Amino acid sequence: MAMATHKRYQNRIELFQGTLDMLILQTLRWGRQHGYGIAQVIRVGSGDVLQVEAGSLYPALHRLERQRWIKSDWGTSEHNQRAKYYRLTAAGEKQLTSEQSRWAQMTAAIAGLMHPRESEAKV
Amino acid sequence: MSRWPRLFRRRRDQELDDEIQAHLIMATRDRIAQGETPVSAELSARRDFGNRALVHEVTREMWRWTALETFWQDVRYSLRRLRRSPGFTTVALLSLALGTGANTAIFSLVNTLMLRMLPVEDPGQLVQLLHRYPGEPHFNGFSWPAYRLMLDQNHVFSGLTAAAYQSLHVRQAGLEPQTTDGGYVDGNFFPVLGLKPALGRLIGPEDNRTGDATAAVAVVSWSYWKRWFNLDPAILGRQIIVEDVPVTVVGVTPRSFSGLQVESSQELWLPLAITPANLRPGGSWFSLSLVGRLKPGVSSEQARAEMAVQYQSTLEEQARATNNPYIRKMKLEVEPAGAGLSNLREEWAKPLLVLMAVVGFLLLIACTNLASMLLARGAAREHEMALRVSLGAGRFRLARQLLTESLLLSATGTLLGAFLAIFGARGLVRIIISERRPGAPLELHVQPDVHVLIFTAGVALLTGLLCGLVPALRAMRAAPASSLRQAGTTGEIKRRLLGRSLVVAQVALSVVLLSAAGLFIRHLSNLEHLDLGFQRDHVLLVTLNATGSGYDNQHLSQAFQELLGRLGAIPGVRSVAICGSSPISGAGANRGVTVEGYEAKPAEIRNVTENWIGPRYFETLGTPMLSGRDFSLQEPARPRLAIVNRTMARYYFGSGDPIGRHVTFDGDDQPYEIVGVVGDAKFYKVRETTERTIYLNTFQQPWVASQFALRTSLDPGPVAADVRRAVSGSLKTVTVQRVTTLADQVDASIVPERLIAALSGWFGVLGSLLAAIGLYGLLAYTVARRIHEIAIRMALGAARRDVIRMVLRDALGLVVAGLLIGAPIAFWSKRLATGLIPDLPIGSTLPIAFSAVAMIAVALLAAYVPARRAAYVDPMEALRHE
Repeated sequence: MAMATHKRYQNRIELFQGTLDMLILQTLRWGRQHGYGIAQVIRVGSGDVLQVEAGSLYPALHRLERQRWIKSDWGTSEHNQRAKYYRLTAAGEKQLTSEQSRWAQMTAAIAGLMHPRESEAKV
Repeated sequence: MSRWPRLFRRRRDQELDDEIQAHLIMATRDRIAQGETPVSAELSARRDFGNRALVHEVTREMWRWTALETFWQDVRYSLRRLRRSPGFTTVALLSLALGTGANTAIFSLVNTLMLRMLPVEDPGQLVQLLHRYPGEPHFNGFSWPAYRLMLDQNHVFSGLTAAAYQSLHVRQAGLEPQTTDGGYVDGNFFPVLGLKPALGRLIGPEDNRTGDATAAVAVVSWSYWKRWFNLDPAILGRQIIVEDVPVTVVGVTPRSFSGLQVESSQELWLPLAITPANLRPGGSWFSLSLVGRLKPGVSSEQARAEMAVQYQSTLEEQARATNNPYIRKMKLEVEPAGAGLSNLREEWAKPLLVLMAVVGFLLLIACTNLASMLLARGAAREHEMALRVSLGAGRFRLARQLLTESLLLSATGTLLGAFLAIFGARGLVRIIISERRPGAPLELHVQPDVHVLIFTAGVALLTGLLCGLVPALRAMRAAPASSLRQAGTTGEIKRRLLGRSLVVAQVALSVVLLSAAGLFIRHLSNLEHLDLGFQRDHVLLVTLNATGSGYDNQHLSQAFQELLGRLGAIPGVRSVAICGSSPISGAGANRGVTVEGYEAKPAEIRNVTENWIGPRYFETLGTPMLSGRDFSLQEPARPRLAIVNRTMARYYFGSGDPIGRHVTFDGDDQPYEIVGVVGDAKFYKVRETTERTIYLNTFQQPWVASQFALRTSLDPGPVAADVRRAVSGSLKTVTVQRVTTLADQVDASIVPERLIAALSGWFGVLGSLLAAIGLYGLLAYTVARRIHEIAIRMALGAARRDVIRMVLRDALGLVVAGLLIGAPIAFWSKRLATGLIPDLPIGSTLPIAFSAVAMIAVALLAAYVPARRAAYVDPMEALRHE
């Protein structure tokens, strides 16, 4: 039963899979942040276009932490709320740089496929 | 799954819950800030968040494969695999358990005798003073004047103290009289050790006042306090009667402290000031055990150098005063005492090191054997490994899995071994303390402490790594492509080379162990066949105790003469005699003598060994009478008679006739007349140069001897019951203290040699058996792999004999390689062993030759089964499989 619902989640976030990791890392570049804050930054920063589901955000955070790209510790927010804060590690920064360049390559390639003329003209 | 990871997981679940809760609270607060009512804000925050349980669930998925869980997975996987091959697992566990168990057992003895530190302040600074006559064991027993002199004049000790250890008879109101081990100590004893009382006060300098009634105090150990007073603080001020002196208990020693002696626990401490006369200040009896605390920066060698000079002057004085130049031969030694004082350490330290080496070798063989078996199993899994590598499994992960398997084996084996070690160590302790010892029986508490635990865990870890490393490294290099294709590649050749070198190593190690065993067994056999000067078999020794029996010497002497008659009448007894000390009991006496017609040189040692015997002693022991006559029961009181041994006769009379000459002992004005000469016989030890020995007629002495020797026509054992009956029938108040046989007594004097021979022998056999199993495994595997080739050879006309010869030649090659490596190591370790055991017959190459022959024989036997299987391969059948 858990498996079935799990699949449903994965379907919903499919489009967003690898990119979410990158967006999280990117968000943490500006300093430590808790899960809710990360989701807010992405939502507000994208002009409400990108909505990060809790069901994909927390698995992603825990996965990134396991990969040692981010680290977590408990702290208190400005409203004195105890929360778990994530912060970028050196390995995470490296990972972010490589994902950024991959992202640039990919978007360029996809753009080329979608609008061949334009991209040719650019080159 | 076990509890630990589950607990670990529960904590993480809680944390995730908290994290989600924080998210919801923050989302709600933001919504309220944007103008929503608290209730609707909370509702919509939850709605936005989605199914909380589901988020929890999918996040948890990310935790799988944490290091710990991977480890547990590896463990479960290994367990499954080990269960699937019970034969392999049993052999591996048994050999490991024996190897680690033997190591732990021996180490725990080494720990008890040599490493375990006393629970006192800075035990590393403590040293004991010892002295010895050349060729004799050293002893820690000094006279009061010697102690005072050292105490006053030394510059190397920050403290020096004396204690006299003794069995004490204790009486107290309402309790049975008992005997307990204790010590009389100087007032500075506890301060030098830096001990603080658990209750009351300890004996201090204020208790040194001789003859003062207030000095009559006692300090008891914690165990004594617990046993007799149930930890009641009211023990302070209680009066107990020790050795007929009433003393007041003033304190209790710390719980961990049971004295300085390794082999006994002291429970009662009294001031030296109230001791019996000969221990008292001014007395000259050699019974003060001296322990000093070195000043910081002073080595025990420096201490020895300084103390030896001082001690020499004491000896000069004593030698002059007693007219005994032999005293000058005494040498002083200073040895570390942090691990306690031990009567066994000097004798056992080196044998235990030898045993440690022997069991170390055994464990090495077991490790190599297991490594080769694991390697062969790895070969069978080559395909599986390759498949997993090509499916993306990390090589490191595979290697780790194999290491987990070997570590699991070693940990389980060690656990089993630890149980074996408990029994083994107990058995060893029984053997070690079974040695004849005059005085109180010894006890050795072999407890597993931190040292032993660290050692055992270290052994387990090292064993696991040693066994598992080679197969694991092989797995890491598992090339997916090459081994998914067929066998016969370079990987295969490398593996076979590795397997073969492991077998060679096993053979080499076994050869070393076997030849060492051969050496030790030969050494023992040499000892057992020494000419002792008496016939050890069929002699029963019975020691009687007449203290408190109510007989005076004259009546006891009479009664013993009658008893001799009764014992002689027991069926199966051929002759019976009485003696003061029997041979190789370790007990004996010596005195200075003046011999009629012999002019002693000024510095000559005038002491001769003496024994008190009755008629037929030499006949009973089987020592030949060379000239003159034996004592008889009908001697008049005077002249007092003596018999001397051949060494003494030669020393004083050369080729002259000693019969009728006279000998006078120091401090005695009446001479003894020599009436006979007997052959030389060993007296203290089986290995000694015979000393000048004089035998006196015990029935002419003020104290009659109380040991009986009976020569029987058959096994002396069954006679013992008749002897006890005869004794209790004629002497009701005299007790039988000890019954043994002369052969047992001789054996007991060479316990270390016997133990080393027995253990190295058994372990040598075990080691070569393991090597044979390793060889068998390798050949069986090789034959299975070469079945195709063998079938072709046979199809082409090779006879069965040729095939058998081929396999055996292969095996022989491995064994010879092992011998070539093992023999030089065996030679080298032989030289090493001579440093630890004196008089080893190292000249002989027989043990190495024997072990080589034995190894070849065992190897050929092990190889024969696979060889036969190869020879009976049906070519058609084997080839059709292709």
